[in-house]
Amino acid sequence: MKNIFLSYGALITPLGNTVDANFEAMKRGVCGIKNVGDSGFNKEKWPLGKINSIEGENRYTELLNRLCEALLAEHPATLFQAQSTLLIVSSTKADINLLPDDTFASTRSILHEKLKLKNDALIISNACISGVLAINTAADYINSGKYKTAIVIGIDALSDFIVYGFQSLFALSSQVSKPFDKNRQGISIGEAAGAIIVSSEKLNDTSFYVNYLGGSSSNDANHISGPSRTGEGLYRSVTKTLNRSNVSPENIDFISAHGTGTAYNDEMESIAFDRLQLNDTPLNSFKGYFGHTLGAAGIIELIMTMSMMENNLMLKSMGFDTLGLSKELNVLTHNCEKAINIALKTASGFGGGNASVLIKKAT
Amino acid sequence: MRLLGSCKISENGVFVNNNLEEYYSACQTDWKRELYTKLDFEYPKFHKMDPLAKMAFLSFKLLEPKVDLGSLEDDSIGMLFANSSSSHTTDEKFKKSYYEKSPSPSLFVYTLPNILTGELAILNKWYGENIFFIQENFNPEFYLEQINFYFSKGLNICLCGWVESGPKGEECFLFVVENKDGDVTHDELYKCYKQKK
Repeated sequence: MKNIFLSYGALITPLGNTVDANFEAMKRGVCGIKNVGDSGFNKEKWPLGKINSIEGENRYTELLNRLCEALLAEHPATLFQAQSTLLIVSSTKADINLLPDDTFASTRSILHEKLKLKNDALIISNACISGVLAINTAADYINSGKYKTAIVIGIDALSDFIVYGFQSLFALSSQVSKPFDKNRQGISIGEAAGAIIVSSEKLNDTSFYVNYLGGSSSNDANHISGPSRTGEGLYRSVTKTLNRSNVSPENIDFISAHGTGTAYNDEMESIAFDRLQLNDTPLNSFKGYFGHTLGAAGIIELIMTMSMMENNLMLKSMGFDTLGLSKELNVLTHNCEKAINIALKTASGFGGGNASVLIKKAT
Repeated sequence: MRLLGSCKISENGVFVNNNLEEYYSACQTDWKRELYTKLDFEYPKFHKMDPLAKMAFLSFKLLEPKVDLGSLEDDSIGMLFANSSSSHTTDEKFKKSYYEKSPSPSLFVYTLPNILTGELAILNKWYGENIFFIQENFNPEFYLEQINFYFSKGLNICLCGWVESGPKGEECFLFVVENKDGDVTHDELYKCYKQKK
């Protein structure tokens, strides 16, 4: 494996429009999930991670445009226009409001128009593990030498389609989502867009960098919408990632878990982490801050993990109070000043998918 | 890498390893159900599946006797799938369900294209890697590149597919590649994909 560097691209969430603004808000304990009136199938009040400055129904287009502008404000335009740059997008539903037309076509055209890409954008749509798969795919391309840089975008916007869907599954929480807590009731859906730059060398001397150590995915071959009772897929993915990275479980300083706040998902994760003997490793779920942002989740949660590594501060798992799992986990109840050298990010999703990635502070 | 076999099915016919299978020729309205009945598989879950998963299931069952996957470790088989219209057909149905009366949870879970890889994993008890891409067209070069990534990480077999159900119609192309000496060319894959009666 070549030396592969990850650095911040851009970040837009209900908590702010830059990585720093998000980190500062989370450090202060601000939650981005708020009651939204006139929402859900019966037009009630549901807690959602909504970006209030975006108005109307055209949320996806607006969010993608804003992300492109943020990328161009923070990085030279030539980075996107280079023949040696690949753009990868992770999204579950893209612009679902375009139905009956192609829901993914506008993503390509907006990115090409705004960023003047030389190469076709590569789109990954693999439910909630899309973001972690996208980072692993970017690393594959950089390692192969085909591209020097990959810009990995994760994006999903709020839509009736998604909210009604999770409501129909009885997976939408009527209170703000409380991942891993004994009183958790389900998911709060959120919207966000983020980007990570994956490159074969440091792009400049001023940015913060982590190294990509390894990653993998594993299906749990159990049920299309229910997680495995034994955590088999997650267990296997993390085991493969550890082997590929030459890292032992005791060397992991922090885990950014998937933690959706549903009874079954969080329990599955506790079983998998217990089997991996990661019970004592500090762990959080960022979904208590942003909600579940689906295709954006893997990317924005990895960005916040990098931000914690840069600031030597572990952020608490928002919404968590008392452990409600059959296995012990070290879920962070308070922010904690501590250096993080190696971090694990995991994701699990519909279709039995599980994915993981290990990163290390770059020297 | 070595091509172990391929299967192309659409409403126009069924081709296994480039041979037109005569047992199926009619263009039925519910051609997937028709094919399932004719082939006499016992898998009740089939009837709950969306068009993408149904086509992937049928193609896999037709391909299975032609390729030997039995002795492999359950996580040495990777799945690499793509299409152009994601879960368009089911997206439209789910939208209709909430416009008409109540949002249908059994439709909603199929509004993700990668559910079909989950169905294949459940069918075979496979715990390997999988990924789903949205691409404008079937691109053999892209598959070969991705297969190489999988094989460089130690996978032995890659089950690849292009499964489409949407405004462009329905089609499913599955092929299996093994990590052994041999050459698979773009042209060969494209020929297997582009079957016509």
